[in-house]
Amino acid sequence: PDGTKKRRKRNRWGEVADNKAAGLMNLPTAITAPMTAEQLDAYVVHLRIEEISQKLRINDVVPADGDRSPSPPPQYDNHGKRVNTREYRYRKRLEEERHKLIEKAMKIIPGYHPPSDYRRPTKTQE
Amino acid sequence: SLIAGTELKEGADTGRVLCLMNMITPEELMDAEESEEILEDIKEECSKYGNLLETKMPRGSSGNRQAAGIGKIYVKYEDAASAQKALAALAGRKFADRTVVVTYFGEEYFDVGAW
Repeated sequence: PDGTKKRRKRNRWGEVADNKAAGLMNLPTAITAPMTAEQLDAYVVHLRIEEISQKLRINDVVPADGDRSPSPPPQYDNHGKRVNTREYRYRKRLEEERHKLIEKAMKIIPGYHPPSDYRRPTKTQE
Repeated sequence: SLIAGTELKEGADTGRVLCLMNMITPEELMDAEESEEILEDIKEECSKYGNLLETKMPRGSSGNRQAAGIGKIYVKYEDAASAQKALAALAGRKFADRTVVVTYFGEEYFDVGAW
């Protein structure tokens, strides 16, 4: 609010040991064999889809403190229960990112099969 | 399989340039201030493993966000030993809730920006 727009310095780096989703997906992250740019792109799309899937499965969806964006005003349902909770918003964001990546993967990876717990969003959703 | 052949074969060329992936989204890249901050974070961490000569973060021209190299960060060390150390240390780390993927990148391509 002081008008200078200088953001609080945050550290985006975390440790390997804190990376629960990466530990579960068990995919190589140090690529030491020669791969073409296309192969690398396809691999990173695949890895990010698996990473998001693990995050959704273990409910590790809310980013660490410094990585969160400002919360929108609360919305409540007819019973007075808050609907746009932090967990709900970040889960939805990850599901949307995963959906886009899966569409991309189907185009660039021959014979690609989406994760078994992926459901294609229906058109009636907002 | 997609992941077959990600491991090093004996005697493969490595080098002193690394390519860091899965760290920055196209949306963050569009935000000049945010992408500058991200690059600073990366330089700071990468400097811990050796003398960093140059870093490149391709942004592409406006309207061309699908170009090769977009979303990747390339770092060049003074020597191959530093690059090797950085690759081992950074791969699998978390960066803004994404898992860092690292590979070697040809220096001759880095120098001319051929992503």
